[in-house]
Amino acid sequence: MSDVAISARRLSPGTKAVLGIFARYGTIIGLLAMIVTFSILSPQAFPTVNNFTNVLNQASLAMIIAGGLTLAVVVGELDLSIGFAASLHGILITGLVVHDKLPIPLAVVIVIALGAVIGLVNGFIVTKIKVNSVIATLGVGTILTGLAFAYSAGVPIVAGVPEAFLQLSLGRWLFGIPNNIIVMILVLGGLWLLVERTPLGQEIQAVGGNAVAARLAGVNVDRIKILGFVISGMCAALTGILLASRLGSGTASAADSYLLTAFAAVFLGSATLRDGEFHVLGTLVGALIIAFGFNGLNIFGAPTFSQYVLQGAILIIAVGMASLGRSLAER
Amino acid sequence: MQAAFTRGAPQQAAPMTTPFLVAHDIAKAFGGAQALKGVSLDIAPGEIHGLVGANGAGKSTFIRILAGLNHPDAGRIEIDGQSREIATPQRATELGMSFIHQELAFVPGMTVLQNIMLGVPKKSRFGLTDWRAIARDVAPIARRVGISAPLNASVKGLSTAEIWLINICRALVRKARLIVMDEPTASLAASEAERLFAIVRDLSASGVAVLYISHRLDEILNLCSRVSVFRDGRSVAELAGKELNRPALVEAIVGGAIRNPQRTVAARPRGNVVMEASKLTRAPKVRGVSLRLHAGEVLGIGGLVGAGRTELARLLFGADRPDSGEMRLAGRSYQPASPAAAVRAGLGLIPEERRAEALFLSKSIAFNLSIANLDKLVHGRYLPLMNRRARASMAGDMIRSLSIKARNASTPVGRLSGGNQQKVAIGRWLQRTPKVLILDEPTRGVDIGARGEIHRLIRQQADSGMAVLVISSEPDELPDLCDRVLVMAEGRIVRELTGQAVSRKAIVEASYVDPQALMEDHPA
Repeated sequence: MSDVAISARRLSPGTKAVLGIFARYGTIIGLLAMIVTFSILSPQAFPTVNNFTNVLNQASLAMIIAGGLTLAVVVGELDLSIGFAASLHGILITGLVVHDKLPIPLAVVIVIALGAVIGLVNGFIVTKIKVNSVIATLGVGTILTGLAFAYSAGVPIVAGVPEAFLQLSLGRWLFGIPNNIIVMILVLGGLWLLVERTPLGQEIQAVGGNAVAARLAGVNVDRIKILGFVISGMCAALTGILLASRLGSGTASAADSYLLTAFAAVFLGSATLRDGEFHVLGTLVGALIIAFGFNGLNIFGAPTFSQYVLQGAILIIAVGMASLGRSLAER
Repeated sequence: MQAAFTRGAPQQAAPMTTPFLVAHDIAKAFGGAQALKGVSLDIAPGEIHGLVGANGAGKSTFIRILAGLNHPDAGRIEIDGQSREIATPQRATELGMSFIHQELAFVPGMTVLQNIMLGVPKKSRFGLTDWRAIARDVAPIARRVGISAPLNASVKGLSTAEIWLINICRALVRKARLIVMDEPTASLAASEAERLFAIVRDLSASGVAVLYISHRLDEILNLCSRVSVFRDGRSVAELAGKELNRPALVEAIVGGAIRNPQRTVAARPRGNVVMEASKLTRAPKVRGVSLRLHAGEVLGIGGLVGAGRTELARLLFGADRPDSGEMRLAGRSYQPASPAAAVRAGLGLIPEERRAEALFLSKSIAFNLSIANLDKLVHGRYLPLMNRRARASMAGDMIRSLSIKARNASTPVGRLSGGNQQKVAIGRWLQRTPKVLILDEPTRGVDIGARGEIHRLIRQQADSGMAVLVISSEPDELPDLCDRVLVMAEGRIVRELTGQAVSRKAIVEASYVDPQALMEDHPA
């Protein structure tokens, strides 16, 4: 580190410009490089419409939950409850459809409303009771895991799942595009519009940028933070529903691992295009990197453990490169 | 306790021994600003030496140099007659100096004894800290300074005075020969302050010197045998014996020789009362403040740092809630629950800490300007999306009319100079044309050119009918800018200056008024 710091003092303006570009576009360059490399190494299996659709389809669930998480981190908080919440939502919707025979649209509305309520609770604990968001959402998430086990009595709900419910996730719509992808595009598009193009989005960015200044500029900081948690909770619910539909069952811990994937995508995204700020487009890029990385490893038959190693390593390298490039470029 | 505790025991003039500390012609610049231009003072063993001066006179810088936190550009420091360099805070401690800052150093979760021993090398046995032996050593010292809480009690719930005693005790455990006390009574009640004075005298009697820094001249006169006065980075006077009295101190602080330039601010008719506060209180910083703010006037609030001015502004802006008192805005009762409510009611605030409290440094100028005006920048009621063209043209207009120096409206505010940042912070409110604009230290850290522009801008707003409240610690700023000035001291308004009576000298003088004495003169 110190060598880097010393030599950086003599950087030419040109080098600085290159480093600056790397800090902003490094993740996108990495994503493209990965796609090109895999395409060259496996020209038959990797660069096909089928495979790309497949990758996107698989990644859509993670992208939706990561999109929601982006809203929580944009307002300066963390939401660790999303994975556990999605698991509960999955088991709940299966139960509502299979046991209670509720119409599917009604069950979906109920579960998404529950997601909003969980976000409301998280936001209330963080802003009004002033509990650190890591602790608050970890606590809420743990309680939700308990509720999931209580609801299912520890047994997955598998039998009697109606075909219509499976079609939520497995179905295809416009031009045969998988539903998951359509939902993902709608959700991320909506979130992008909200954050980047609405007055509310300006306030959301302001709260994340400097909460004290936002308050003194007349922004209702608590309300904006609660909104971030609510959106995060609703996206977790959507992911939970689609996962249950895809798996055709409700299991009490099915979606837990989405927490890590979502965080990886969001933080990779913060190293994209903007200097260390979280944003929806960045999260999309982050999720794509992870998805294509996994896909490539699968195609080459790499063992499962390597996927975890890859996910962790990509995250640290990408964010590290961006922050290093930024600090060098600013000298 | 001891004889030395009797009040007013005559202090022996320092005998002709070697002074403990001699500082000679110390100079220090920060960037372009010359904080110290040459200050000298000496302190004899056991002497209680006073140090006074207005805001920005250089007291803090001088203390930081003694403490090893800053290093002088020029000058000499001698301890016990030997020239010394104070490279680090550790070195300052080794040389026998201890510092008790206004913000007392203590850790709430620890015991009294642990707090006393904070940062002090401790006795150990078999590699473990031997708290029992330490307690034996510390107990007599704690008794001497009068710590009543048991050493193994938690400091949680102890009063400020007791925490202060713990800090004194720590200094004595370190065998300090000079204790520097910065505004020690600022947050103490009168009875607690009396006890503190007794301890200071006791320390002095036992040979420990004290450098006593305070804005409260009565304390200085009561305690100190000699007083150094700093003004504009120089030591301008050293008063002792018969020369040491209140008028002489004030004269030295203000600088009697400074001629008051004719005020350029022309008297103008002022409009109706826009904002009114009566007996506004939020303990301990704001105590019963009443004021009236008229349309079209620039009202200044002067006073020393810590007099409660920023806290008053926060009450007016709804950032804090008052304990008691009332506010009215445009004739109606006004009780803002939040800054958001204050903004809706027609107020704007440019806070003191520009970078921390006003700006979004990584965001663009356009973002920073528009954040308080989002309702005006949407496409329409049925299309609640940001109108980016309207935003860009608003930002462009603002950049031109305030002559903000930046490449374009998408430049991040963090890259601008202090003056241009401040213009952005002001510009944010101008599009709302608020009824009341409050500016806290509007030109701090701003270069001369931008300062003039900001002043013109403030005057323009008042000329167009806005009511403007300006808080400033710079003695020259308020006379330049304001129609009327209220001076605050210790949470109260102690003087109102209008017309030609507004002067640097009058403001500084009033800053040292003892509000307690004022209340006795004019019982309410």
